[in-house]
Amino acid sequence: MPELYQKLERIVSKNRISNDLYVRHAYSRNVTSNLQGVPDIVIRPKDTQEISEILKIANEENIAVIPRGGGDCEFGGSKPIGDTGIVLDLKSMNKVLNLDTDNLIVTIEAGISWSKLNDYLCHFGLYTGCMGPGSGLTSSVGGGLSHHSVGGGGCAKYGPCTNQLISLEVVLATGEIIETGCQANKYSKLPFNRFGNGPDLAALFCGDNGIYGVKTKVSLQVFPKPEFADYKTFLMPRNSMEISAQMMSEIRQKGIDVYDTMYFMDLIVSIGIQYGMFPMWEHLKRKRGVIFYTVEANSETELKAKVAQLDKIMLSKKAEEFGPEISDGNIAKWHYEEQGHWLIAHNLWGLVPGFDPVDAECHVPINAYPKIMKDLDQWDMEHSEDMQKILEITGMRPITGTGPIILTEGNNVELTCGFTSFPSYYNGEKHENIKEINVKLWKSLLERLVKQGAMFYMFGDILSRHMVDIQGYQKGYYELMRKIKDAIDPKHILSRGKYNFWGTKRK
Amino acid sequence: MSELKHLKKEWKAIMSCMNCGDCGFAIRPVVGRYLTCPVLEAKEEEGFEIYFSRGRMNVLKSILEGQIPLSRELAEWVYQCSECGNCTEVCHMSQNPYIVLPTSNWIDHVKVWEALRKDLVEAGFAPLDRHGDLIEYMNDDNMKNPYGEDKDKKFDWINEFPEIKEKGDLMFFGGCTMPLRQVETLKSMMKILKAAEIEIAMSKDEWCCGSIAIRIGDEKSITEMIEHNIDEFKNKGAKTLFTACAGCYRTWKKDYPELLGYELPFEVKHITEILVELINNNKIPFKEEMERVKVTYHDPCHLGRHMNLYEIPREVLSKIPGIELVEMKRNKNNAWCCGAGGGVKSQFSELALKISQERIKEAVESGAQILTTSCPFCIGNLSDAYEEMDLEIKEKIKVIDIIDLISSKL
Repeated sequence: MPELYQKLERIVSKNRISNDLYVRHAYSRNVTSNLQGVPDIVIRPKDTQEISEILKIANEENIAVIPRGGGDCEFGGSKPIGDTGIVLDLKSMNKVLNLDTDNLIVTIEAGISWSKLNDYLCHFGLYTGCMGPGSGLTSSVGGGLSHHSVGGGGCAKYGPCTNQLISLEVVLATGEIIETGCQANKYSKLPFNRFGNGPDLAALFCGDNGIYGVKTKVSLQVFPKPEFADYKTFLMPRNSMEISAQMMSEIRQKGIDVYDTMYFMDLIVSIGIQYGMFPMWEHLKRKRGVIFYTVEANSETELKAKVAQLDKIMLSKKAEEFGPEISDGNIAKWHYEEQGHWLIAHNLWGLVPGFDPVDAECHVPINAYPKIMKDLDQWDMEHSEDMQKILEITGMRPITGTGPIILTEGNNVELTCGFTSFPSYYNGEKHENIKEINVKLWKSLLERLVKQGAMFYMFGDILSRHMVDIQGYQKGYYELMRKIKDAIDPKHILSRGKYNFWGTKRK
Repeated sequence: MSELKHLKKEWKAIMSCMNCGDCGFAIRPVVGRYLTCPVLEAKEEEGFEIYFSRGRMNVLKSILEGQIPLSRELAEWVYQCSECGNCTEVCHMSQNPYIVLPTSNWIDHVKVWEALRKDLVEAGFAPLDRHGDLIEYMNDDNMKNPYGEDKDKKFDWINEFPEIKEKGDLMFFGGCTMPLRQVETLKSMMKILKAAEIEIAMSKDEWCCGSIAIRIGDEKSITEMIEHNIDEFKNKGAKTLFTACAGCYRTWKKDYPELLGYELPFEVKHITEILVELINNNKIPFKEEMERVKVTYHDPCHLGRHMNLYEIPREVLSKIPGIELVEMKRNKNNAWCCGAGGGVKSQFSELALKISQERIKEAVESGAQILTTSCPFCIGNLSDAYEEMDLEIKEKIKVIDIIDLISSKL
């Protein structure tokens, strides 16, 4: 290891590499307390060439490399699987390289956060449309593309962030550097189109969870931020889950290009009020679900027409409109005007100290989620015994449910579902069995959703392997993924262990 | 393995960190948020996550779970933090009173860092070298200040002001930095108070407030120090104690009652709270100003984020004739730290200067001609950084204590 370290140090200089015990532990977790993997080395490369050199050495030495953007994966995707390998911290590669204002294409280093990129673009009246994942204040553009991220705003109108991708620069596991789309033509000066010069190889790296390459440079289509916007929030009638699905379907059927629509189930509203999360809704006599929309337009007339259509959908189903201000209960205004779109998931966290949401967010068709949520209630009851054990230690039984149900592109929603639990260190003592129960329940819930036909996009450590373990993939599809992995990363250097490729390789 | 007595008390905060990383990277212009951690930014290419809250919380989780020990090496990382508290301001903050992101109820980062420092000291891995010197000086009966100066030197400046009484309702706590390093500002203060016909008293046996010991986590002599200081002012009849130092203010007003478990027998005020009253009662005879100057105010962490005192200094400045108050891009709870606090200035002076230079550049960007603040520690660090900056910057802006600024308008 000392020799390997010296080789790597020669590439990046000593300030940007560390094998210090504490630095390694600083990078050992993502957004879950249940999964940990301590790397051997952490490197903060400054450019593509350095990454290429690092990967060549990792190949020679057969050591795993884990690319890490914002580090916000809820399934442990940007820390090692097991205590091993090199974490590539890409956050220092965060520059805007070019803004093509004629063609509305921005080229950036992949480590830039969605919030930094949009802060830059707003000076030109532009935005990214889909604002990346809900963790977009920190999470990187490269990380977003690796997961088809949605949820940080604008995904009902623009879809997942990968929709906006024009071209990618990727370093393959063997160190080769490639560019995709129009940039595959070596004479192309500036990125302008993704689809051509052969197959859409950029797509190979979209949603790849970091297994096929390290994204280093990204060109995205950007959009003029419309001058006009409105946002309204409604209290739902009874049976709010079913009716919310009907509302979202109708929005799609009528072809209204709503910017965002989100539904909060009854349970979230009532618990949130009980725990002081929503002072704006404390006045509610009936603590039912809440739905909101945000909509944009290029003229007042257009906006009025859209708002009238949307209001008709909401009000015809007996939803009651809150007043226009946040203090009146209009969370949509916070979401759109105060950049709450990057904090919407934080509502679910920290209800009590150490409160740890165990996440199973996925995409499902709009008309499927009421049934799936009922099935999750059933799943919860079936696992009462394990949940009782958590209650006995922490005084709080896990809650199964979903955070905001977010309308995404097409007739889909992002179901931010899961169950709540606690970390294994609770009230000054370590309870190893909490972690065991959490992981057991987590796998069970993921399996349940997979078997309901849900589509996941963030797989990380736990789900990528569990999906294979429960044989959730069509055999041919999984084999193709593996063959591609074998072909472009023969030693399985990148994100080693994900999807059990490494295990199958060794067999 | 150390007992981790203090860290264990902070388990709720440590285990409530969800690892989102907004304490390092958040940019939310709508609420004036442009990044968070001055140390992380100053470290530039070596900005590993251990330099900001998320990474540190991960390390603390591993420590609490018994995976890794405390050590001297850890202390070297940990003390590179100015304890500015900016991470708490971004941690699950909706920035709207009608939406409460509940994790914000459990995490007070500065408390966590101070608990860690106490455990490091108790385990023998801290204080670091320079911090150890400061503590030794502070506890030395012939000094009682962290500058290593003779005990009586702190009171030399008083000789010029025979009107300062030994007892009285309104008593001034001079602290250590101003009397030993910024005497001219104290003279400015006396000029203002004299013009406003305000009588003050002082003790010639005040000791260091102990802030440095609390921030470093070496509190073994702190109780004696606190009790001595309180007795000294109580016995001299203080009804109100005021100080011109943000660090002393926080220590007296927040730390003393917390450490003792009871309220002090007198009120504690910062000098800006005294000045605003004088200005509002037309007690300060400002001269007519024909020329307007743009001034920006740097919020000291110990006054702003730690004590929520944001508006009063601004009210003071806005009422001084000839001054136009302009804000820096990051202000109030989003203000960029000067980099001096938490023992950074004494142990990692280059880091402190780098952070201050960033702040001065931000002040220049605001269009201000004067960068002012109300903390001698901030003034000291900003001034040191200013001295090392290019002439081009120096031609655009000056760094002046708010007291000196007011005094210059009399």
